[in-house]
Amino acid sequence: MRSYLAVVRGSTMMGMVYRFGFLAATVGNVVYLGVAYYLWKSVYGDATTIRGLTFDQTFLYVALGSTLFIVLKTYVDWNLYSEIREGIVAIYLVRPIDFQLYMLASCTGFFLLSVATLVVPTILLMVFVFQVSIPLSAPLALLPFSLVFAFVLTFCFDYGVGLSGFYTESIWGISTVKDTLVLVLSGALIPLQFFPDTIRDILRWLPFQAVYYTPLSLVTLPDEGWQHVTRFGVQVGWMVVLLAATRVLYGRAVKVLRIAGG
Amino acid sequence: MSLIHIEDLSKHFRVLNRREGLGGAFRDLFSRDYRTVRAVDGVSFDIEPGEIVGYIGPNGAGKSTTIKMMTGILKPTGGTLLVNEKAPYDNRIHQAMVMGVIFGQRTQLWWDLPVIESFRILKEIYKVDRRTYDEHMAMFDELVGLSALYPRQVRTLSLGQRMLCDITASFLHNPRVVFLDEPTIGLDVSIKAKIRSVIEELNRTRDTTIILTTHDLGDVEALCRRIIIIDEGKILYDGGIDKVTALFGTYRTLKVQIDESCETKVDAVRASLDRRFGPDRGITVACREAPWTNITIDQDRTPLSDVLTHVMGAFAVSDVRIVEISMENVVRRVYDGALE
Repeated sequence: MRSYLAVVRGSTMMGMVYRFGFLAATVGNVVYLGVAYYLWKSVYGDATTIRGLTFDQTFLYVALGSTLFIVLKTYVDWNLYSEIREGIVAIYLVRPIDFQLYMLASCTGFFLLSVATLVVPTILLMVFVFQVSIPLSAPLALLPFSLVFAFVLTFCFDYGVGLSGFYTESIWGISTVKDTLVLVLSGALIPLQFFPDTIRDILRWLPFQAVYYTPLSLVTLPDEGWQHVTRFGVQVGWMVVLLAATRVLYGRAVKVLRIAGG
Repeated sequence: MSLIHIEDLSKHFRVLNRREGLGGAFRDLFSRDYRTVRAVDGVSFDIEPGEIVGYIGPNGAGKSTTIKMMTGILKPTGGTLLVNEKAPYDNRIHQAMVMGVIFGQRTQLWWDLPVIESFRILKEIYKVDRRTYDEHMAMFDELVGLSALYPRQVRTLSLGQRMLCDITASFLHNPRVVFLDEPTIGLDVSIKAKIRSVIEELNRTRDTTIILTTHDLGDVEALCRRIIIIDEGKILYDGGIDKVTALFGTYRTLKVQIDESCETKVDAVRASLDRRFGPDRGITVACREAPWTNITIDQDRTPLSDVLTHVMGAFAVSDVRIVEISMENVVRRVYDGALE
């Protein structure tokens, strides 16, 4: 355990080396929030609610959604892919570490840093500049856990795609498909309430919405009660399933490396 | 029991034969034609604790594949392979604790962090206790003045400094065996000497077994008492260094430039030298690196200066170089039966 904590510590320090990247992401996000504000303002027009959501709820949802989208980018797919291509992966294989946990630890530092540099400023901006009220409620207590689990879920998607680099010479296509699926089906782009009901019923049981909709709804829909618990359960369930699935995938993928040489 | 026991080890790869041209690439989409490459083909040897063994051979001989099997990265196709009495592939995490690896072309350090942080992370990964860690770092500071590099970001280090740091890192957990894959590649002479002396010191004081693969015969000569030569997946020679040193020690290659291309003159040079020195005087002439004509000379049989004087007199030589024999040449000689 201590060894993985040391890796988390190292990756946090590495993130600070790239501090300009974080600054740029923060500025970019602020600009995006301004655009989203006027876009959804015009969508609402004179209406007070659309599909049961007030403007404040929708805007808060969209704003936090775009912020999370940056925070939850692990880049493990691209990093792992280039490490496989260049053979650097051999260095990990001769260390006494669990590959999956090591990969998770090495992107955790970036996650922690971007929570501090993006989520916190965005919330302050929402409250003080855009004057959006954030209701304090019991479900908010689940938020930190739900955020961390959302991070682990994105990690599993990205890690899984990265592992496909053992099989294929380019992961560009797979990675793009994954990004689009997650962005649309998770409710990161548009709140799930705006989808047709039948599609929503299907999406509810898929892992994608557990990444964005589950943590975001804790903030924007404080009155939903038990539905939060159900969603939280689905999130935990998918996390366990995908962690196990990527372990199996790694076991198979690493054999391919061993057969094909490197 | 020896530290490394290898018996009839082999590793075969299946490689795709790609067809030529656009049409061929299209056909490759539907039917594929594989061939088997025997990268390592029935290799056997034993290595005792504390040995420094040079594992050498030309490019593509199977060196790296053997190292990758010994470190547990690749699974052998057949044969027995035991390191510290365990099969590396099946006990990867456990085995990683008893070995260190240096890949000369890559670094195991964290590229963006100050040097010292990499050591701190590795200390936790390998569960090295505080005292061992401090002693180790003090020893390296004394040997190569490492502490001056601690605050430097790894990406700003020179190749030689980085290699010293990589060596420090791989010996940190006090492994039983360290695999050094091209540790001096691309380094200048003084830093090479430093690295050799550090490796020798570690072997002497800690009794660490060292397997060295290199293209630099100087490394082999300075460090190894035993060498194993491999070519095309098979062992050509396994034994003391002295016989092999004698082999490359007395040979020199004289490179002369006569024309734009060596092809026009190579036969004339060969004939002229035959006339002057007679047959069987340890002289071979070849045209492999145009425009150079390579004359390899066994100095025990014919003095290099005589050959040089003769060639200078008989041909319009525009440039001359004298080089030590290359790894490829040593292997070729061993292959031709020079050690029998």
